[in-house]
Amino acid sequence: MKDIFRVRRMWRPRSELKPRYDVVIVGGGTHGLATAYYLAKNHGITNVAVLEKSYIGSGAAGRNTTIIRANYRTPEGAEFYKKSVELYEELGADLDFNLLFSQQGHLTLAHSDRGIITATERAEVNQLLGIDSRVIGRDEIRELCPEMDLSDDVTWPVMAALYHPRGGIIRHDAVVWGYARGVDRRGIEIHPYTEVTGIDRENGRVTGVQTNRGPISCGTVISATAGWSTLVCDLADVPLPITTHILQAFVTEPMKPFLDVIIVSSQMHVYISQTDRGEFLIGAEIEPYTTYRGTSTFPFLEFAARHTLELFPQLERVKVLRQWTGLCDVSPDYSPILGKTEVEGFHVSAGWGTYGFKAAPIVGTTLAELVATGDTPALIQPFELERFYTDTLVSEVAAAAVSH
Amino acid sequence: MRLDPRPGERIDRSEPIRFTFEGKLVEGFAGDTIGSALYAGGRRVFSRSFKYHRPRGLLCCSGACPNCMMEVDGVPNVRVCVAPAHEGAVVKAQNVRGSLERDLMAATDKFGGPFTPVGFYYRTMIRPRAAWPLFEKFLRSAAGLGTIDKHARRTGRYDVEHRHADVLVIGGGSAGLEAARAAAASGEHVVVVDENAPRGDAPGGLELLAPATALGIYEGGLVPVAAGRILYKVRAKRIVVATGALEQPVIFPGNDLVGIVLPEAVRRLVHDFSIRPGEKAVVLAADDDALAIADDLRDAGTQVLEVVDLRNGPHRISASGTKGRLNGVGVEGVRYNCDLVVASGGRQPAYSLLAQAGATVAYDEGRGVFVPRDLPANVEAVGSVTGEGTGSIAPAKTLLGDKTFVCLCEDVTEKDVKRAIAEGFDSIELAKRYTTVTMGPCQGRLCHLASVRMYARETKQGEDAIGTTTARPPWSPVELGLLAGRPHEPGKRTSIHHRHKEAGATMMWTGSWRRPHSYGDPAAEARAVHESAGLIDVSTLGKLVVRGPEAAVFLERIYPNRFADLKPGRIRYAVLGTDGGRIMDDGTVARIDDETFYVTTTSTGAEGVIEWFEWWNAIWKLDLSIVDVTGAVAAVNLAGPQARELLGPLTDVDLAPDAFKYLDAKQGKVAGVPTLLLRIGFVGELGYELHFPSPHGETVWDALAATGATPFGLEPQRILRLEKMHVLIGQDTDSESNALEASMPWIVKFEKDEFVGKWALEHVQERGMRDRLVGFEMQNGSVPPEGGAVVRDGRLAGRVTSARFSEQLGRAIGLAWVPEELAVEDADITLRVSAGLERAKVRLRPFFDPEGERLRS
Repeated sequence: MKDIFRVRRMWRPRSELKPRYDVVIVGGGTHGLATAYYLAKNHGITNVAVLEKSYIGSGAAGRNTTIIRANYRTPEGAEFYKKSVELYEELGADLDFNLLFSQQGHLTLAHSDRGIITATERAEVNQLLGIDSRVIGRDEIRELCPEMDLSDDVTWPVMAALYHPRGGIIRHDAVVWGYARGVDRRGIEIHPYTEVTGIDRENGRVTGVQTNRGPISCGTVISATAGWSTLVCDLADVPLPITTHILQAFVTEPMKPFLDVIIVSSQMHVYISQTDRGEFLIGAEIEPYTTYRGTSTFPFLEFAARHTLELFPQLERVKVLRQWTGLCDVSPDYSPILGKTEVEGFHVSAGWGTYGFKAAPIVGTTLAELVATGDTPALIQPFELERFYTDTLVSEVAAAAVSH
Repeated sequence: MRLDPRPGERIDRSEPIRFTFEGKLVEGFAGDTIGSALYAGGRRVFSRSFKYHRPRGLLCCSGACPNCMMEVDGVPNVRVCVAPAHEGAVVKAQNVRGSLERDLMAATDKFGGPFTPVGFYYRTMIRPRAAWPLFEKFLRSAAGLGTIDKHARRTGRYDVEHRHADVLVIGGGSAGLEAARAAAASGEHVVVVDENAPRGDAPGGLELLAPATALGIYEGGLVPVAAGRILYKVRAKRIVVATGALEQPVIFPGNDLVGIVLPEAVRRLVHDFSIRPGEKAVVLAADDDALAIADDLRDAGTQVLEVVDLRNGPHRISASGTKGRLNGVGVEGVRYNCDLVVASGGRQPAYSLLAQAGATVAYDEGRGVFVPRDLPANVEAVGSVTGEGTGSIAPAKTLLGDKTFVCLCEDVTEKDVKRAIAEGFDSIELAKRYTTVTMGPCQGRLCHLASVRMYARETKQGEDAIGTTTARPPWSPVELGLLAGRPHEPGKRTSIHHRHKEAGATMMWTGSWRRPHSYGDPAAEARAVHESAGLIDVSTLGKLVVRGPEAAVFLERIYPNRFADLKPGRIRYAVLGTDGGRIMDDGTVARIDDETFYVTTTSTGAEGVIEWFEWWNAIWKLDLSIVDVTGAVAAVNLAGPQARELLGPLTDVDLAPDAFKYLDAKQGKVAGVPTLLLRIGFVGELGYELHFPSPHGETVWDALAATGATPFGLEPQRILRLEKMHVLIGQDTDSESNALEASMPWIVKFEKDEFVGKWALEHVQERGMRDRLVGFEMQNGSVPPEGGAVVRDGRLAGRVTSARFSEQLGRAIGLAWVPEELAVEDADITLRVSAGLERAKVRLRPFFDPEGERLRS
């Protein structure tokens, strides 16, 4: 409470770059900042610089649709995200910053037999891992969301849903700022408007980075650059099996509370939540073409509006205020690429597609452990880049592609 | 109060209009807006603000600001200053507890201020965590503006119209019209979009869309234009942006009081609606146009106490009021008692559309505004949007006094902005997200420039260094209903659809197709197939004709199995793989003649397969054509031990077992319709899949049904195919499944030189099998859920992909993915059923007719 009367800087103004850091983190989004945070907090490593080519949280961290959930399809994925949700639940208190985490519950709708099978499969995997997740029928759906059109005379009648009570939405920018403040207070430097232009190596080992503000030498470089991962990893000659697509979303004017649960329909490629500010936040599937150009499209608005009204006809006269676009680094199996690469000391957090934000705390924790100990934590071993050479992919297409 | 009739007024005094506001009668005239009628009736407070619930009144009177949003006929967030008044309208205030005059939530303004600085919610309510859901509930109910009627249904009859013009002019002001006339004069087809309702007829030779708003300039020059219930999609060779400039508020203490307005509000109230805006007024303005508003005021009978030119140095201004309504303003220490202050801090070019289209935005030091630069090709700007005639004054150092608002939508004060900067949110994008300046319903029209200039001042940088935030479409808020169009989602129906409906089938979705689930009794329908004959509509299968001298080469390369050696008149099962060796689709390939192949795909996979074929042939450039005949060809499958004798009388094709063998393809007539007959058997009995032109769907169906064959739906088909362990792609396989592990090794011909995905399947062979798709038989008869888990030692070991009770076998059977070591006949596996565990035996051969004798009979 005292913090509302006292004005304190969240972080120091940007300083000059030092010639050397132990660890350089490329990317000042949630993953980069979380990794820095846990390096300091869990391992006492503070000679670290976080380099961000724009302002902090300017990429996917500030453009995602803020859904947090653990109901993934593979045991590897579900276990990983379960841990992430647990960390998110404690994160506000840990950072002493209210992240407005609203665990209102998450419903993935099934409109076909096939949809029910996928939901069942996820529920089964989740339950075996102790994740609160189950398939529910229309009556229970109606109790959770009486506003939704559950009649039969619609194009895609709702047949069942995968219900995940602990799923929620959070204020994404607050996650960025909370971590940034925690990082700064532990002595780590954040350098906005500092772009990495080269990654130096000798004998297969990282030795430093080139930036638009001069060179830095360091022993470890972590790329946490989401949509720009392929470009940054190219600087270290590490090829990634990633294609980059855009994902779009929009918000409406703020309205009084109407929807208290997150609604996802893979069949209709739409997901809908209402933020604490009252805006409806609506998104769809990634665009099928690859691009780095973050231009919003009109067909997306039409498509998402059409499907939103199929579920919630009451929103017909609610107005769209703003649409935007983010970049998604999509891996072939819709699971992340996390940890070591063939270049020693160069680690990546990439291949996040549409589900990176949900993983920030666990990515930070595990990557920090990797840097501190040199060993890949068991939790992220399934996600190593190596899996594309050994053909041990982790298929999350059914739970990640359109499910958010 | 209403003035005497004036030339040029928009109202028609001969036509009174009556509506209600908060249950009380309001009278106006045709041509009034709801806002002007309310104002004429003496109403000054139109809304309560977002956070502090301060009274707010008309400010821009042109639909830009949030101050007049009300609920009209159940529709929330209507800007009543531009919403036409209509007879019988039911108008209500929104976001108030109590009334506009006495809003209980207004306590937040008096007492909440110190406790609710910018971002207060990030710093409070953190502990105890258990209390947060309660806090959140309160926060949520306090936020938001209008209320959505939970019982509202879709009303909309929305339409889309297309316009293809030589020139699109956005903005019907003088510069826009001049450009439009010039273009029209040279013979070009010109469309003009204007926000205001037209006065009289459109100028000759132009198509005028008004009142209408251009939502954005999207890729390819698409300009969607919202005009009431019509969405125009305009594509023009040349786009002329003449969106003008936006009047900017002046930042001073109390600048949100009811009675402080922008000049445009006075213009409209006086000239359009013949209303005297106030009794005593002070004009504070930074350009000649706005200063001239004093004349309009005098003309309307308002006493103008003072006219202050804000360009002459910084002025110390402070307004005061009672109950939120202005009662006076102090300028340089001189106080004026007045009920109206017309305040304009200048005009900022309305460049958003240009910025969206790709123009850069730069700060014009001389004018003190942001102007568009480097316009994209085929986009021009004319008039004040270019910066011409615009300008703004720097914000003055403010005095102590009432709250000083930078952003009215979100109730962000100058103090909030200063605090954000002091806290380290020192880039405009960060500040936007932290303070929420520009994120409200006005979309930055009235707050963007002010916030940037304030930032520049506080951080002692130039406005240029601060820059602008990204201009995001849509330029004006647009209803979801208009974007969605008519409630209409097409589903695909086969040409036999009505017969199924007549027969009482329950329909279900298969991808975008509607198909019969069953005709009432799935078990009986399955029994009929086993015992006599059944009939199923399989028109939804994807159907392609691949034809050309190199068609065989193409299929040989794209599929893992062989087709080059397939003889004309023969059929082979085909599994299509990705370049990563994953299963993509399956179907059959029939060779019609040397150069012609007839390929079927799954019902949901057709589009993907066609794309896949075309994608590869774009690389290979083989001499062939790929034609999608899915919609043109209907197909039904007649299956069962009596299929031959039932079909015989209807066809000229010799069905004798020796003449027409299993996996033969023959052409002939069925019920007089030219048909391709494929002898295949997905359901495990003797069967003929008949493909024929879809207009004859009902003819052929009726003829077959008349033989006594029992129609059967998808559900019985699923039971029948499961008895044969036939795989459903996408259900039994997922995006990572390969043919080897899906127990179809015979389909992969490694001896072929090359095929798509060969390397990946070789790799699978090398690394060895990990999981396998196998059949299973339940030990106690319960049917596990599809999607259920295979459990070993309490951990997930695999999953059930299909499961049914088979009446024919008297057992519950299914397919499941299990670890390779369990892929052994008779192995015991454990499945989760209703959260308990049940035992099953692994089966590797088809449950029914493992030798396929019935298929071949």
